[in-house]
Amino acid sequence: MLTTTIIILAVFVAAFAAFVVWDLVKAKKHRERFRVKSTATAYLMLLPAIVLAFLFILLPILYSLGYAFTDYYSLTPDDINFIGFDNFADAFKEIGNKGMLYHAIINTLIFVVGVVPLQIGLALGLALFVNRKKRGVKIFKVCFFAPVVISLSVTAFLWLEILSPAETGLLNSLLGIFGIKSHDWLRDPSTAMLCIIILSAWQGCGYQMLIFLSGLTNIRSELYEAASLDGAGVWSKFIHVTLPGLRSTLVFVIITVFIGACRVMIQPMIMVGYQEHVVTLSYYMYQQGYSFRWVGYSSSIALLMTIVIGTITLLQRRLLRGK
Amino acid sequence: MKLNTVVSDEYVFLHKKRLKGKRIAKDVVYYVCGIVLSLLFLFPLIYMLAASTKSESAYVSDAGSMAMFLPDFAHLGTMFDNYGKVFTDYGIWRYALNSFLYAAIVIVLNVLINGLAGYVMAKLRFPGKRLLSFLIIFLIVVPVETSIIPLYEIVSELLGLSGVMTVAGVILPAAISIFNIFLFIQFFEGIPKEYEEAARIDGASTIGIFFKIILPLSKPIIATVAVFCFIGVWNDYIWPMMILPYPEPGEWPLYPIQNAINTIQNIPGVTTGEKMASLIVTSIPIFIVYVAAQKYIVQGFGSAGLKM
Repeated sequence: MLTTTIIILAVFVAAFAAFVVWDLVKAKKHRERFRVKSTATAYLMLLPAIVLAFLFILLPILYSLGYAFTDYYSLTPDDINFIGFDNFADAFKEIGNKGMLYHAIINTLIFVVGVVPLQIGLALGLALFVNRKKRGVKIFKVCFFAPVVISLSVTAFLWLEILSPAETGLLNSLLGIFGIKSHDWLRDPSTAMLCIIILSAWQGCGYQMLIFLSGLTNIRSELYEAASLDGAGVWSKFIHVTLPGLRSTLVFVIITVFIGACRVMIQPMIMVGYQEHVVTLSYYMYQQGYSFRWVGYSSSIALLMTIVIGTITLLQRRLLRGK
Repeated sequence: MKLNTVVSDEYVFLHKKRLKGKRIAKDVVYYVCGIVLSLLFLFPLIYMLAASTKSESAYVSDAGSMAMFLPDFAHLGTMFDNYGKVFTDYGIWRYALNSFLYAAIVIVLNVLINGLAGYVMAKLRFPGKRLLSFLIIFLIVVPVETSIIPLYEIVSELLGLSGVMTVAGVILPAAISIFNIFLFIQFFEGIPKEYEEAARIDGASTIGIFFKIILPLSKPIIATVAVFCFIGVWNDYIWPMMILPYPEPGEWPLYPIQNAINTIQNIPGVTTGEKMASLIVTSIPIFIVYVAAQKYIVQGFGSAGLKM
């Protein structure tokens, strides 16, 4: 690993030097000059950032790319072989066999398809609800935002109690009033993902509500007045004034919520564990790479994920911005 | 014209009255909806607060009634026993102290390192700058899906995985943030050149200018970065769990507070009330930060939009 790192570092420095020389040549053409002293200070001030970014951002990305094509098993770090696309073949084989990876993909899809519309719909609805000048609106805003303040892990632990399979769990005891029998919400494959979707949307939507609110304040009130004069109702005002006005906010919110949803991991990890009915892609990747030590295989999954998510994000941006 | 007004006055009055009645009805509907929605959002939190005051027997006997959402006022004397136990027996304050310490170091390093880089990129001319600008934009725009496993490999190779060095593994990767560099660049570009030129004429060095002129002018952006760093470090769960050693009894734990919840959950015989108390203790500092730093958090939202 050390030798590889040194090679990467050398390549990086060489590429950098080439660029510096290029800049120098270009500057000479334009009869400009860089002062040696100020260049030295500049690099001195950049040094900590460059070192840390190289070690903790660039290097992991490069390693992830490289490991994806090896059989790296972190308990035998010296025995590392280039195996081409075998990891990817294994991954597709596991999908075909309906193994853990298959469930991880399905569950991640369910989560994304569930949580993106739910969370964004809730956030937009709440933003429209509190976007008026009335007494007490600020209190509502604080109430809707409150779940954002507690962290994702606290949320997971809290809902673990709420959804507790015991008869004394909050949900079970409330349903018990109506004579509904206790249920193990998180072990039941048909309800577990639904619960996780609901609690994630509950926790997160206050954040997007604030983003929508700042988007709403940028829509000029004259537009609404003009629409009213034209006899537009509440609904057609929403369609023809609010939504177009929120376009860029909406693009931003959809893409960030989508990427966040694709990364879901903490909730199933804390609330259920590594089980077929809740495992997600990130969780699968983490489990393979960290717990089972198959770093090579895990990296190939990460690479696939980056490609898929990157493509979808680009498509979303095109589709939503293009018109 | 005048005649007309006289005639219509009464009509206008009646019309206004009717409108007013309609508005009040609308208001009532609005507030009822608002309260119902608020309760829907708050009930898990109210339940958490209420349960944190109860002993296990009180918790069980309240199940299935509205008392689940009410604190245990019947036993005023023992209401805060769970908190006492979480602090003294489970020692959650140590984990909290760890989190504060990690957050403080990360904030100082993050502001210094990324601030310096942002200043250089915004204000200085040097060869190689174009490549660095390109790298910054590239790393912000491209969604890199979790290189957390290779990061773990690198950190464990570099710093080892035992003892206090693992703390550096928590702090150092959090000290660099390309996005914060980007925020600093944006902010510094808005500072007029005259400030620096005046200082340069007085014979100040570039680094001196950064610390004496630029940083004091940059309090808003520093506050924004600091607040988001704090929230990030305080709420981080998976990374510290990966690299920090599991706390041994009798030793000072290295875990930050989010992981302490996990440790507390695993203690045999822990009650629901105690778990809830630990969740609340974990959430209070973040709550205070959100209330105190509202302004900077909203500014952060604004700049988050730039990210696209």
